[in-house]
Parts: sequence; structure tokens; C-alpha cells
Amino acid sequence: MNKTTPIIQIEHAYKSFGHIKAVVDVSMNIDPAEVVVIIGPSGGGKSTLLRCINKLETIDKGQIIVDGYSITETKNINNVRAEIGMVFQLFNLFPHLTALENIVLAQKIVRKRKKKEAEEIAHKQLNKVGIGEKWDSYPSQLSGGQQQRVAIARALAMDPKIMLFDEPTSALDPEMIKGVLDVMLQLADEGMTMVVVSHEMGFVRAAADRVAFLDHGALVEVTTPEKLFASPEKDRTQKFLSQILH
Amino acid sequence: MTAEAREATRDKILPIAWEDIPWWAVILAIVGITVGWSVLTSEEYLKVMRFVLVGVKLTLQATVISYLIGLIVGLIFGLMRVSDNPILYAVSTLYVEVMRGIPLLVIILYMGFVLTPMLRDATDGKIDIQGIPAAIIGMAACYGAYMAEVYRGGIESIERGQMEAARSLGMSYMQAMRNVILPQAIRRILPPLGNNFISMLKDSSLVSVIALSDLLQMGRLYVSRTFRAFEGYNTVALLYLIMTLFLSLIVRTVERKAAIE
Repeated sequence: MNKTTPIIQIEHAYKSFGHIKAVVDVSMNIDPAEVVVIIGPSGGGKSTLLRCINKLETIDKGQIIVDGYSITETKNINNVRAEIGMVFQLFNLFPHLTALENIVLAQKIVRKRKKKEAEEIAHKQLNKVGIGEKWDSYPSQLSGGQQQRVAIARALAMDPKIMLFDEPTSALDPEMIKGVLDVMLQLADEGMTMVVVSHEMGFVRAAADRVAFLDHGALVEVTTPEKLFASPEKDRTQKFLSQILH
Repeated sequence: MTAEAREATRDKILPIAWEDIPWWAVILAIVGITVGWSVLTSEEYLKVMRFVLVGVKLTLQATVISYLIGLIVGLIFGLMRVSDNPILYAVSTLYVEVMRGIPLLVIILYMGFVLTPMLRDATDGKIDIQGIPAAIIGMAACYGAYMAEVYRGGIESIERGQMEAARSLGMSYMQAMRNVILPQAIRRILPPLGNNFISMLKDSSLVSVIALSDLLQMGRLYVSRTFRAFEGYNTVALLYLIMTLFLSLIVRTVERKAAIE
């Protein structure tokens, strides 16, 4: 593999909420087009680490550099955030706007696109995630899986360099999960840099380049899916896997 | 017969949806027409009506203008109340607590007899705020505080994820507020905002204490001239009631329209 400049560099990041340590001395580099899945027990700091990458949480100590910008020091976090798409567990679609308007809004405000151009892009993205015909529906008229796909389309319309997924399928009914995972697999195939917090082992197997195991805020091990499923190095990882794989 | 079928038959017999009729409004209208008829056909009431009608204009004017100012003042201070900036938060909290803690009557007396004369003296008469603007400023300042709290409640009722989603797309705090949070919050706070409008119309009667010729002041003037307290205050009460009912109708229409959207 060629030596490339990592698109995300996390250096000795710390984050606590009061006396709860959510992220403890995490260092990790993520290359462009890499798909990294973060797994670990609940309350282990997975979501917090992800949210630190686009500064929804501000780290207490350490350094995070995204696409060449230190997110702790940059004057304009909004420009950096526009390059990082984020998908949330509870979708967080704007309920007062239709699917199309959800995708158009930030394009107009942040990317300064004309309405017509933004709408064309929105239609394109909705078609890509497989719900092109639902463009005129309000979020409340869509199923969970459809809402999550609109949320993915909304993030993609900004042409992000990185996509963050915070447990994108854990609030979905089982039969809705596949549609969302298919979209994510397609994205991975297209070479999107992805950081995903998820316990969908099917996705890990099919798309992950590396898996990071996070427990009590600390990185226990970073490994490939092959090694993870064959023989994890650390006992804690093994114990956790045996629990979620039954 | 299924429930739907029964409903369909009934709809054929009775094309009007009886449960949709606001019965309270019907009763009120009947009472209103009866009262209105007896008032309009009585020479005495017509005399009062003609006398106090100029007051209605001032009452409406003062209410509408101070409500609009109050909406803007409330929005500004409401935004400051949810701000992370400690100075903005402290200033807005102080404003809200002080204004909420002083009766509107006292604020209006202050505006009329303390602040405006002081301002006039301090500027050698260059700035001389007259009675009506002074009263409007007082009402707007007082209701601005109440409305700031309404806005704050509305903004805080919107799930945190909405702000996070908007920020993660690269919007600034204010852009997210304007395009994502406020449109949702305002829909939720329409009922209390409407209530404020109605109670402001009633509270505008307090401006009569600084001798402004609003509806109540004109009514009192009539009573003191003719000693006809019964007809005088009946007319005043009736006119206030007509105005608030009319406003209440507008508020309902706006709310319903927002709900459909």
C-alpha cells in the first residue's frame, strides 16, 4: 500500500463529561477511502469519539486534524464540517421540510448553490439511495429506513470527503436495516472515507478495512476484520465479540 | 353496518359535520346579536358608542404596535436566554426578571410620569416622548419579557439533534436557528403568542392611567360627564369583548393554518 497522508489524524485525544471519561488518550490515523468501524460496549465512548471528529463535542486535550485543518484551532469550523457528512442514530431530519427540502437547505446556505442546482443534486442523491419517488414526502410520512436514507442523501449532497455514521441502523426495524446497509456498502465501494459506529458484523465483514475496539474510552485494539473474527489479540475484544456474536 | 358506512349515511342525511361547529361561538353569537340589537336600537347606547369610538382606535393602535415590537424584543431576548454567552444570558435574564416582576400598571406610570419627564429635562426638551409612544414602549418592554420566555420555551422544546444535524451540515449557529430551530419552535409557540396578543389588548386599558384617550378612558369620561355608569361600562365591556373575540378568531385561524402546513 502506498504511503498516503491520512485524512483524519487523532492524536492523544481526551474527552470527559464531569467525572466520566468518555475518550481517553485515543490516537488513530485514517486514510482517504478507508472504512473504519468502531465497535465496543455501550458507554464505551464510540459515539463521543465520532462526534469529536466534527466537533459536535470539543476535545479537552490532544489534537484532531481533518483534511489538513486542526478542528480544535480552526477559525471556521463550519467550512470543515461541510466536508464531513454525519448520519445520526435517530436520523434528525428536519420535520418541517420535505425530503427534498431537507437535502436542499444546507446546499443553498452553506454551499451557496442556486435552488435549481440544489434540487437537481437532491433528486440525484435520493435516486442513489433508492427513494427518488419520495422526494415530496415529509419525514413523518416515511419509514425509519427511508428517513435514514434521506439523511444519508442529505449528507452526501454536500459532497463531503468523509462520512461519519453514528449507529445508523440501531433505531431501525430489522427489515429496514438492509436497505440502509446496502447504501453504505455502495458508498464504501465508491471510495468514500467512512467512520462508522455500528455492530452490524455483516457490514464489518463486507466493507471494513479496519475495526477499532473501544472500551472505557480507550482504544483496546485496531485490527482488520479477518483478524478480528479469526483471533482477536486482546481478551477483552474476544469477550465482547463472543457476547455480540452469540 | 360498519362505523364508516353509518357515518356515510349520516353524512348523506346531514351534510353538515355537526361536531365541527364551535358551539360556544354559536351561543356567543346569539347572545351577541341579542345584546347588539338592544344596544343598537337604544338611543342612550348609541350615544355612548359614538362617544367612545375614538378610544377604540387608540386601543387597537397601541395594542398592535406594542405587540409587534414585543414580538421582536421577545425574539431577541429569547435568543439571548438560550445563548451560551454568559453576558448575553445574564443581561437577558435580568431584563426578564425585572420586567416580569413589576406590574404593567407601575411600568406605564413610570413611563408617563418618571422616565419621559426625566428624559425631557435631561435633553433640554429635545427628546420629548409623548404619552402614546411612552405607553407603547412600556407595554412592549413588559410583554417583550413574557414573550422572551415563550420563545425560550419553544426553542428549548426542539430536540437537540436538530441543532446538531444542522451544524454537522456546516450551518452556523444563527443559520441553524433561523432555518431549522425557529420555524419549528414558532409553530409550537403560536398558542401562547396568540394568548399574549389577547391579554395585551385587555391590558392596554391600563394606559388610561396616564390620561390617554383609549377605550376605557373615553368610557370613564362619558360616565363622569353623564353619571350613566351602567350604560357606559356596559358599552366599554362589550367593545372589549367584541375585539378579543375577533382576535381569538384570527389566532385560531393562524394556528389551524400552521398545523396543516
